[in-house]
Amino acid sequence: MVIDWLPSVLITTLLVLAVVGGVRRANLWRAGQPEKVNIVAGLLALPRRYLQDLHHVVERDKYMSRSHVATAGGFVLSMILVILVHVFGVSSQLLAGALLVSLVLMFVGALFIAKRRLHPPSRLSKGPWMRLPKSLLMFSLTFFVLTLPMADILPEGTGSWLLTLVLSIGIVLSLSEMLFGMTWGGPMKHAFAGALHLAFHRRPERFGGGRSTGLKPAVLGGDVHGVAKPSDFKWNQLLGFDACVQCGKCEAMCPAFAAGQPLNPKKLIQDMVVGLAGGTDANYAGSPYPAGKGDAKVLGNAKGGIDNVITAGLIDADTLWSCTTCRACVEECPMMIEHVDAIVDMRRFLTMEKGKTPNKGAEILENIIATDNPNGYAPASRTHWAADQNLPLMKQKQTAEVLFWVSDGAFDMRSQRILRAFVALMKAANVDVAILGDEELDCGDVARRLGDDATFQQLATRNLATLGKYKFSKIVTTDPHAYHCLRNEYGDFDVDGVLSKGGSGQGVEVLHHTTFLNQLVQQGLLKLSAFKGGKVTYHDPCYLGRYNGEYEAPRALLESLGIEIAEMERSAFRSRCCGGGGGAPITDIPGERRIADMRMEDITQTGAELVAVGCQQCTAMLEGVVEPRPVVKDIAEILLGQLIEEVH
Amino acid sequence: MSQYDALFEPLNINKLTIRNRIVSTAHAEVYATDGGMTTDRYVKYYEEKAKGGCGLCICGGSSVVSIDSPQSWWSSVNLSVDRIIPHFQNLADAVHKHGGKIMIQITHMGRRSRWDGENWPNLMSPSGIREPVHRATCKTIEVEEIWRIIGDFAQAARRAKEGGLDGVELSAVHQHMIDQFWSPRVNKRTDEWGGTFEGRMKFGMEVLKAVRAEVGPDFVVGLRISGDEFHPDGLNHEDMKQIAKYFDDTGMIDYFGVVGSGCDTHNTLANVIPNMSYPPEPFLHLAAGIKTVVSVPVIHAQNIKDPNQAKRIIEGGYVDFVGMTRAHIADPHFIAKIKMDQVDQIRQCVGANYCIDRQYQGLDVLCIQNAATSREYMGLPHTIEKTTGVIRNVVVIGGGPGGMESARVAAERGHNVTLIERAEELGGQITLAAKAPQRDQIAGISRWLIMELERLGVEIRLNTAADESLVKSLSPDVCILATGGRPFLEQNPEWGAEEGLVVSTWDILSGKVEPGKNVLIYDTICEFSGMSAADYLASKGALVELVTDDIKPGVGIGGTTFPTYYRSLYEKDVIMSSDLILEKVYREGSNLVAVLENEYTGQQEERVVDQVVVENGTRPNEDLYYALKASSCNKGQIDMEALFDIKPQPVLEAEGNAASDGMILWRLGDCVSQRNTHAALYDALRLCKDL
Repeated sequence: MVIDWLPSVLITTLLVLAVVGGVRRANLWRAGQPEKVNIVAGLLALPRRYLQDLHHVVERDKYMSRSHVATAGGFVLSMILVILVHVFGVSSQLLAGALLVSLVLMFVGALFIAKRRLHPPSRLSKGPWMRLPKSLLMFSLTFFVLTLPMADILPEGTGSWLLTLVLSIGIVLSLSEMLFGMTWGGPMKHAFAGALHLAFHRRPERFGGGRSTGLKPAVLGGDVHGVAKPSDFKWNQLLGFDACVQCGKCEAMCPAFAAGQPLNPKKLIQDMVVGLAGGTDANYAGSPYPAGKGDAKVLGNAKGGIDNVITAGLIDADTLWSCTTCRACVEECPMMIEHVDAIVDMRRFLTMEKGKTPNKGAEILENIIATDNPNGYAPASRTHWAADQNLPLMKQKQTAEVLFWVSDGAFDMRSQRILRAFVALMKAANVDVAILGDEELDCGDVARRLGDDATFQQLATRNLATLGKYKFSKIVTTDPHAYHCLRNEYGDFDVDGVLSKGGSGQGVEVLHHTTFLNQLVQQGLLKLSAFKGGKVTYHDPCYLGRYNGEYEAPRALLESLGIEIAEMERSAFRSRCCGGGGGAPITDIPGERRIADMRMEDITQTGAELVAVGCQQCTAMLEGVVEPRPVVKDIAEILLGQLIEEVH
Repeated sequence: MSQYDALFEPLNINKLTIRNRIVSTAHAEVYATDGGMTTDRYVKYYEEKAKGGCGLCICGGSSVVSIDSPQSWWSSVNLSVDRIIPHFQNLADAVHKHGGKIMIQITHMGRRSRWDGENWPNLMSPSGIREPVHRATCKTIEVEEIWRIIGDFAQAARRAKEGGLDGVELSAVHQHMIDQFWSPRVNKRTDEWGGTFEGRMKFGMEVLKAVRAEVGPDFVVGLRISGDEFHPDGLNHEDMKQIAKYFDDTGMIDYFGVVGSGCDTHNTLANVIPNMSYPPEPFLHLAAGIKTVVSVPVIHAQNIKDPNQAKRIIEGGYVDFVGMTRAHIADPHFIAKIKMDQVDQIRQCVGANYCIDRQYQGLDVLCIQNAATSREYMGLPHTIEKTTGVIRNVVVIGGGPGGMESARVAAERGHNVTLIERAEELGGQITLAAKAPQRDQIAGISRWLIMELERLGVEIRLNTAADESLVKSLSPDVCILATGGRPFLEQNPEWGAEEGLVVSTWDILSGKVEPGKNVLIYDTICEFSGMSAADYLASKGALVELVTDDIKPGVGIGGTTFPTYYRSLYEKDVIMSSDLILEKVYREGSNLVAVLENEYTGQQEERVVDQVVVENGTRPNEDLYYALKASSCNKGQIDMEALFDIKPQPVLEAEGNAASDGMILWRLGDCVSQRNTHAALYDALRLCKDL
């Protein structure tokens, strides 16, 4: 070697620069709001979260997961060995050999990554991301050649000053990407921020098979309600935004993006990064928001800063109101970023501080406040639908095995058919059931998704107080939104343990009606005949599936009728939203197409004559699609059609 | 929620929650055969309404409490014996199962009956005054009998309660015993049961007290009253308000049902069940007037047929419940259809009054346009299920009601259906019938069928005359002929139809022939067409004489319909002559001479007119049938045993997939022989429901 010390100096310099960058970046995150995180436990959990939870998501794309394992694994191993071999000069043929092997591994992985970049799908960001595979190849090649002599494969001193120069340039260029770029905002930032994001995640309970999808309660009565500026996010939320790898899996799944509404979850996260680091979106190299007011599509106009109001120049409010909160983006994100929570945090500011919930939003919220239901029906008419159902009220009964949470479908003639079907099935199975009647209030889902957390919290508190008056061991509801709120979001307000300790002290079980009905069928309490109609497909409601992981019970019920479900390409965790969640039909942000129409196309493609649903909102959205189209029925309605009535 | 929210707001009557504001009010069904028991047919008829969502059914119009109030004339329910109790339990269970409520009207009919049958009783009334509609002579009721009948009311109410029904309605309407005592027109007594207001009220009040004492405070007891008898010597609206308040003040009445008009003459009777000549809800103001003086819910029926109309009435607060009884007879599922957002699929009552006109003849109540109504027990469906068998190619020739119903039912079964009609529009004779004054609403029968055919995707070919080759070119598996008939003017060659001396009522109503100025209509049929033609011609300014050889013009039309024709014809100076046969028509100059002969004396008289219209019924159009018959696999025959038993035609099972033996050929409606709309629809439904 002509200048033996040069590589180690270059490597050390870049390492130091990386550390400096890391500290700088961490300071950006620290501009966010404090949030207590168990640093040690998080770091200890990191390998498991990475290897299990994150890999579980990445593995859905086998090509990418294998390429990434080889490349990232190869790089991490190589980097450690590079430091040992080339910086600390540990002279070991074994280490050098190991380094060569890991570099080969990385090289092969990088080749596949490079190959993908030859014809990249539109969801992938271009720009510096197009450079990354080259840097990966350069890193592995450079250090491979540099290491060959140490492994005694080539004699010491092989090469000339020319080779040294080439290798030095290789070291500088590749390490600039891999180390300097990692902490100074290059594509490799995803590894650095991503690892810390996994360790210090805002929702550690979502890892290791847990399921945490409930929104965090807004703090009421502080200086600001919700998130106005990037610095209003929790520090680890800012860190999470920085973890984005711009793979665009979210973009590919986002129903609002597909409908041409002004939302692209990837761009939204990148805009958050612009907000936290300052500057404009000029360097963003992915798909823009599909539509929007004025020149929102033109890059470079969005300006952000840590203390600038986000909706004043960085992103348009319509972007936030386009989201259906379906969590398709969250489900797809390999970096475990929580887009939806961030969107709702920002909506909270617009609604609670600015009173700027668009279109019907303000009216609906006023209705909820005045009448405890979104459409402003007379509260006393809540139980009209049940006048002929002989359903006991909790007020009379005080105690029942099952509390049937009716939800606001009570006011809607179409939804009432679902309610009645479910009641008929429960009666056939002799379920000990009662309802709250007029004591029930809207669960608060719409208020919460529209950013009015004050109203949500008030409804939750009042509903819990009502629930606390009675004894029951299960709450069953036909409405996945109410199901989600009761099961996952009321806990934050359940100071008396109505749900956590209620029932027989074991806690109240909150169930979706399909889960409950499946239990009844399994126990042989419902006698059903085989379904004789045509082809059937099943649409997974977002708040049942992605939010609560119930994919099986509805399918088991349909299968119990002898139905072979003609599955849609987008089904189960990849189900496409009907467009009805998150208050989207209320805020009604224009796009090029309607989400429900797209979903109906998915359904039609299966050739189904009947689409089974487990949500009144989905039913309403899908039935809103012009005919001819398949028939839409709740699973309870389908089951009732096949119920064999006992003759007494 | 929907625009119909007001209809679906539950309301309590006493402690009974009624799930919506729509009631099937009391009417005589004529199904309580077997000595006045609520038979299987009876139960299934009401179960269908409850299944369809009806809030409250008040069954058993004019159900009797005493053995001397005959029930067999109208097969009304007999509450004078305990044998009824288990039958009521069947009825109550069937309705309650679907969330409905059911009560029964109880009454003693007094003089409003017939004595010449059953137990041959002496009919009774407060002052022994004859009732004209039933030609009912009667005795003056004695005090002992009064008290016995009061006791009978209480016992009848007990039987209703023990049978699990939700309440009883005391009938003080339609001139039954209670309102016979009320009305000074009939009650001329001077004892404590007449004379003063309190005296006239006493019988009804004692009945109420006895019933309430028997059933206790929570069982529903309602009172159905007239809002105004429309007789100068009867009870007017102010009288009825006074009576309603008097009874309401007792606190023992849980609801009032209000009917406009008295009904002990033919003319007032027609008001009670307003036919298609009446405007919507003609007597709502009377019920609303009663509502102003009482403290309990008020129910009002009479010509409320449309959900929007019902909603408007409830939202306006005129009354608390709307009676939609004929609406339920036409479509027992109409509430379910509102809830299913299928308002366009409701088969709406057209006010043809086929139902009630049959009842007044002592015949079972049937719907002119819905053959399944009250035949649920036989297995005739209101909702046609899709077949699970072979899908057939069905060709229906003729777009009258029978053909349209055949096409509808076959299409509901899932078959491929083509309907061929010679005329430029569907409807057949209904289209003609709707041309007459005050009869336009009958077109609703066609309107619904046409909308259903469109919804079901039936291929309709208009302006297409079908012949053998056309039928064969469509290679049907099943061919149904409903080609109707044509006016039968050639029966008597002396009428000169061939020379064009006479024209048919069809020619007149269709507008094919210009109305004359001085017209003689000879009507041997005495149903709607002759009357309609007379009314039509008179309304165009013609001088009309309507002549029949029968006992009076319109004698074949029921009791709620001929009066409205008569009102219209007399007002237009139409002369109605009976007992005259049209022997001959000949031309004399520019005029026609019609020779009429008195059936009973043989004496002839002549009329000089410029137009003679003959209504002599129809002859079937059967040419196509005979052309196709030989090549059909069933030789055109319908298995009558299967048809009458509502069973599938055996040929359907024999035929299988192959049409090698030729198509199935059926014919129905007037192309077989002249009957009526209901007959054609009934055959269409029972033949095609198993297709």
